[in-house]
Amino acid sequence: MTPFDYHRPETLAEAFRIAGEIPGARYVAGGTDVLVRIRSGRERPNALISLGRIDTLARLELGSVTRIGARATIGQVLDHPELTSAYPLLAQAARPFGSTQVRNLATVGGNLCNASPAADMAPVLLALDARVEIEGPQGTREVPLDAFFKGPGQTDLAPREVLTTIVLEPPGPDARSCFLRKSRVGMDIALTSVAAHLQLADDRLTRVRIAAGAVAPCPLRLRAVEDLLEGRTVEPGLLDEAARLAASEIAPITDIRASANYRRRLTRTLVRRAVAAACEESR
Amino acid sequence: MSRECTLDVNGSLTTLQVAPSARLIDVLRDNLGLTGTKEGCGNGECGSCTVLLEGRPVNACLLIALEVEGRAITTIEGLLGPGGKLSPVQQAFVEAGGIQCGFCTPGMIMSATALLEANPAPTDAEIRDALVGNLCRCTGYTQIIESVRAAAVRLGTGDRPEAPR
Ligand SMILES: Cc1cc2nc3c(=O)[nH]c(=O)nc-3n(C[C@H](O)[C@H](O)[C@H](O)COP(=O)(O)OP(=O)(O)OC[C@H]3O[C@@H](n4cnc5c(N)ncnc54)[C@H](O)[C@@H]3O)c2cc1C
Ligand code: FES
Ligand code: FES
Repeated sequence: MTPFDYHRPETLAEAFRIAGEIPGARYVAGGTDVLVRIRSGRERPNALISLGRIDTLARLELGSVTRIGARATIGQVLDHPELTSAYPLLAQAARPFGSTQVRNLATVGGNLCNASPAADMAPVLLALDARVEIEGPQGTREVPLDAFFKGPGQTDLAPREVLTTIVLEPPGPDARSCFLRKSRVGMDIALTSVAAHLQLADDRLTRVRIAAGAVAPCPLRLRAVEDLLEGRTVEPGLLDEAARLAASEIAPITDIRASANYRRRLTRTLVRRAVAAACEESR
Repeated sequence: MSRECTLDVNGSLTTLQVAPSARLIDVLRDNLGLTGTKEGCGNGECGSCTVLLEGRPVNACLLIALEVEGRAITTIEGLLGPGGKLSPVQQAFVEAGGIQCGFCTPGMIMSATALLEANPAPTDAEIRDALVGNLCRCTGYTQIIESVRAAAVRLGTGDRPEAPR
């Protein structure tokens, strides 16, 4: 591993100052992505700036809105009964995430900032209409998660900015949801994943959100599918149409894990099953 | 370029000079002589480097030593009782044959110890789930699962009958 310096600021202001003084420094939260890349030589930062001592980043609050600190670990999300009962999608994505050891280190913010197309928290947070709060030397701003991902490994973050908080609206009175993820074996990243979140009242679907992972350069919302389902009553013909439409909205690639064609077929199946399962889920 | 760092390992504090990029596994093995913790993959995948950080299992190959300064770390050596007596989980692995070459064993035992602390009577599925991040190339896992089950009994908490083989 190429040696690097290591900084442990206790406030965001200090983190911004260090980031300004050391071009080439990188932030690190759980390190489960960054350290693996450094070890493989794909990344050679001269310094890491740890977010581990900035305690304001680790808050988890449920209220009129829910605020998940970027440095909350996947394990902390899973161990938070109020959070997972309000948003079962979070638990469904967190449970198969890596291993116990990885979940105790990996952070929600790191998962989003790393911007892997296959990041597991991305589809569920997209389906929950999450917004992210970003703080930088110039101040604070908020963006919809949907506008945060720019490409594989690329986000809306400016060089010294830090993602501080993930903000969620209350789930809604008639909320139903389902996250489905297909991987080859345990501990493998998703071949394809689909998250559905919607309101179901009087047999009608409203506020439909469908998001998919590992099928395009970024995790993405399937807006045509959402529009198709909005206001409708679920029946098999509609699900078939949704599945077909989903396959046309994505741009999967072939890699060592699966072919583009397989990912497309998987997306069709997972969209159909996720919407059906969400509707059947009893709350 | 090195930095002073005080680590809290197995209940004792040690102040030492570490390179800023030194990982916890490097410091445990090379500076503190605690070679029970093994490095397999170095990438978070095999779990042979598992230690407990404030009671929770983590990969020591994915932690920078300076990051965990002052936080309680437990390694396999820290499980021994007075006079070097094996912990109930360690003893169960010996008796149930959960060890062959032994390379994965310290990591397995750390994960199993944390599991039984949180869930004193796990089902086999829960045991397997807790050990997803620990790979073994020798045993085929069956005897490891049996060891954890036996450890639960040993700890006086497992009251389930043996699952059929
Ligand atoms: C064995 C193993 C299994 C894994 N399994 C899964 C899996 O099942 N699903 C999955 O999605 N991922 C998985 N991962 C990948 C990884 O664990 C996750 O992406 C994790 O959430 C990253 O979080 P982190 O805190 O460790 O990120 P880090 O490695 O600390 O950071 C990742 C990137 O984000 C930046 N960053 C982090 N936090 C912030 C912030 N608050 N503001 C600005 N920038 C920030 C860093 O600079 C870096 O570029 C796995 C990794 C390993 C090693
Ligand atoms: S050496 Fe740490 S997980 Fe393999
Ligand atoms: S006993 Fe040899 S790797 Fe598990």
